[in-house]
Amino acid sequence: MAETTASQEATNGDGAVRALVEEWRDVAYNCFSSGHKFCREVCPVMQVTRDERHTPTAFHANVVAMDKGHLSIEDVAEDYVHCTMCGACELRCPNTLFTGDFYRFRQRTIDVVRAMRTLAVEQGIHQQNWKRWAELTDRWGNEPVLGWAKETSGSKVRAWAAGLEIPTGGETILFADCEAAFRRPSVPRAVALILRQAGVEFGLMDQQWCCGGPMWETGYVEIAEKMATHNMLDWRKTGAKRIVCLDPHDYITIVENYPKLDQNFDEFEIVLAVDLIAEQIRAGKLELSTPIKKTVTYHDPCRLNKRLGVWQSPREILRAIPGLTFIDVDHVTQWSYCSGAGSNLFVEKPELTAEISRRRIAKARELEGGVEVLVSACPWSERPLTEQGEEQGIEVMDIFELVAEAAGFEV
Amino acid sequence: MLGFRLSAQKPSEAHRVTDVVVSRFEHVFEVDPALMREHVHQQEIPNWDFERIVASRWEHLAWMHDHFADCAISAEELLAEIEAES
Amino acid sequence: MAVAILDSVIDELTAICGPDHVFTGRSATFNRARVPAPFPVHRWAEYIPSAVVLPSSTEQVSEVVKLANRHRIPVVPRAGGTGLTDGAVPLRGGILVDVKLMNQIHELDHENRTVTVGTGINMLKLNEELRRHGYIYPDDPASYPCSLVGGRIGTSGWSLIGARYGHTRDLVISFELVLPTGEVIRAGDGGGPKVRKSSSGYQLKHLFMGHQGTLGIATEATLELFPRPEAEFSMFWAYEDYRDAWRATGELARSGVATLAGVVLFDEHKIRYLRRDDEAYIPQPESVRAVVACAAYGNEDEVRVGAKRLLRIAKASGGRYLGDEISQGDWASRHDRYATPQHGRARDGQVALMSWHCEDASIPYPELPAVSEKWHAIAASLAERFDMFDDWGMFAYTNGAFKPWGDYLTEIDIGVWEMKWDEDAWAAWVQAKRDIAQVAIDHGGSISACHGSCREGEVDLVPLELGAGFEVMKTIKRSLDPNNIMNPGKYLLDQAYEEG
Repeated sequence: MAETTASQEATNGDGAVRALVEEWRDVAYNCFSSGHKFCREVCPVMQVTRDERHTPTAFHANVVAMDKGHLSIEDVAEDYVHCTMCGACELRCPNTLFTGDFYRFRQRTIDVVRAMRTLAVEQGIHQQNWKRWAELTDRWGNEPVLGWAKETSGSKVRAWAAGLEIPTGGETILFADCEAAFRRPSVPRAVALILRQAGVEFGLMDQQWCCGGPMWETGYVEIAEKMATHNMLDWRKTGAKRIVCLDPHDYITIVENYPKLDQNFDEFEIVLAVDLIAEQIRAGKLELSTPIKKTVTYHDPCRLNKRLGVWQSPREILRAIPGLTFIDVDHVTQWSYCSGAGSNLFVEKPELTAEISRRRIAKARELEGGVEVLVSACPWSERPLTEQGEEQGIEVMDIFELVAEAAGFEV
Repeated sequence: MLGFRLSAQKPSEAHRVTDVVVSRFEHVFEVDPALMREHVHQQEIPNWDFERIVASRWEHLAWMHDHFADCAISAEELLAEIEAES
Repeated sequence: MAVAILDSVIDELTAICGPDHVFTGRSATFNRARVPAPFPVHRWAEYIPSAVVLPSSTEQVSEVVKLANRHRIPVVPRAGGTGLTDGAVPLRGGILVDVKLMNQIHELDHENRTVTVGTGINMLKLNEELRRHGYIYPDDPASYPCSLVGGRIGTSGWSLIGARYGHTRDLVISFELVLPTGEVIRAGDGGGPKVRKSSSGYQLKHLFMGHQGTLGIATEATLELFPRPEAEFSMFWAYEDYRDAWRATGELARSGVATLAGVVLFDEHKIRYLRRDDEAYIPQPESVRAVVACAAYGNEDEVRVGAKRLLRIAKASGGRYLGDEISQGDWASRHDRYATPQHGRARDGQVALMSWHCEDASIPYPELPAVSEKWHAIAASLAERFDMFDDWGMFAYTNGAFKPWGDYLTEIDIGVWEMKWDEDAWAAWVQAKRDIAQVAIDHGGSISACHGSCREGEVDLVPLELGAGFEVMKTIKRSLDPNNIMNPGKYLLDQAYEEG
């Protein structure tokens, strides 16, 4: 029986290509052999472009094609830009959803996209804006969320906490995320005030750097590892044992990537702020007494809902806010929703992100009941959603901003 | 425990259900890992991810029911009615 | 084989579809070569198109087809690319016309109870929108979450709930079609686009259902709207003996219950296969050897009454009810029922990633046991010769629209270890496809209930199945497509152009 191998057939004889194909061959064939394509209609990019090159199917088929010598990384590098890594595809795929647990083998589209983007970077094929974004993150310690010219250094990352007198370090620290800290400071301020009111003691890092997520996601592994190493050193230096993440991007980056880089990672407990705050509400530790007379709907952020399976805490929180009219769209319907911001898509393909967000806002607007506010639980999603919301007359708020308001705070 | 701790992610010991199936979590089956040694190997799936898949499956099936009809009629209930009538 | 297309032709295509919607790059062409059916991946390069266009309107499609005729370049239509008979696989390169951009809902007509859509739309996404208005478009194949209306027309699709609501040809009222020479017609019942039944002129709609893209490209379709079901009922019954299950299947199908949507028979091989990895069947006792599943949809009052009748029949047939959890959970999973590669087992019992062949012959009810025996023998012989085939058992589904008692969509699922293809195995496979098709014909059936029969192997028996009808097929093809532009090489239709 003829069994072809990558080394026999890959016209691109590069060791790095062969290594990728070896590592991802089974996952790629798992997709290729099934040909299901149930992923396609839940993919936010596909809903817009309708171009099969951008399907999770193609993302896997390319690996098979590379194995057979039909395609090279040059042929496909740009295709892999078209992905927010929302996780809808790999969750919806029957290979995960129906049998991923049974076989302990699931689809890993996000990992495949990441591997291909990393290979492209290693082979010198860069997306120009991603490259610039990575270089500035490396230089400043945090992502250039305020534009190419405004430095977002580790020394400025706590500026949002001015006047709050939050100590440095301690057992629990709040990881405030680049986008939130620099661009939407009302979010970390809200979380800080809420936690304080609930009696949760916490501090901040000495110098918070980018979690490294977007670096891993866009193929700049060395920079990502540098960020992660620095952050873990900072945690240890300041005595942190519990890391509270207000942004699901940070949480998932940390739990999926940091343990491999550190032998003693078990020292740390990583917690989602949305889970912690829901717990405080449940325990009666947080008084939400200021009614908010608004009609809202909730946007399930991709990394929170699809990738982490966290959809109950935010809804519990919303239902605890007095005066609120909450029109829900269930979290499974939202498997096909997205803001389009993920994995820095907005940095390379802003018009695609804008269209994905435009459609998300339109869905909120079309709901019966006259939605005024779309509430999200992810600062990254709030960037394009807020822009599109302005166009369509829908206010976009972060869930913590809303809770802070209900608790009587001004952020 | 509210958050993620690495040591809580390792799957527990499996017990045998059939000659090709084992189980670690109640009501959840898994292939005998011995069957994935030659041609395709298992992945390392942390417990949080495993639970996410199982929960998502039930949520998806409920969604599918609701997508097609407003309610699902129970045959068990109707069989009980038939019993009672006979 | 992808033939090089002149730059000047690419320029013309760009002038028609716009620069953002014409592609010649390798990733664009390699990723539009195959469909889920077992694919000779060792010969991938032979099946890629030469260029790809994503048109946005019927006019653009018409212009592209006219251009193709002028230059004698093949055209291959592609909707979802989720078919199972290689209808969308280019055999001679050419211009692949991908309709996915045409996925809008154009009109919702509450008075006439129709919705008009671009053929690039998926039924699940359509129904998410229709739900708000209390409607459903109940075309429900195993590919429901991913197949597109264009492909449903191209294959004349089958719906899991067709016994209640009909199949694609009953649910599509009319559609706009670009003929192989580029003219645009409206194919329906008569002329009015929302007329369901006509006797005026030839009934062209049925001609253009299931042509596998060889008679044109559907770009827009007007669809039937049903009231969203108030209630769903599903029940799964276990039997110790296949024949008991087969008899029960027949009784349920003949029950006359108007809300009955489908009956599905699982044979012993299928149950043995499901015991390997399906949580519903793993814990079942050995006495469960065959299963019958049955579902009904409609208003709650009528479903309840109908369900009781079906339950009484099932009880009297000697089956054992498997419980609500399985009955509801397993039924809900039937709407996305393609097969996971990990279901494959090599001879050593180890898990192997296998692609999935799904036969789909139409078999008259009385012939089911005999056909099952013969097909399993064919599968066994393949598995004996090559350690790359795995028999995943058989299903039989009610096939008649509105009349569940006739023939059955009869499916044998064979896992194929695709990574191991070579010329010997492929040749044996193709022969097995012929043998499977021959059995269907010998027992008064049809090679395909719904996928189509233009795959390598089975296609050789289409002239045998249709008899003199195949001559009519060739005549139609030749008169509508004089230059053999539209999906050439499919269905042996090159024969239509041979002299003598």
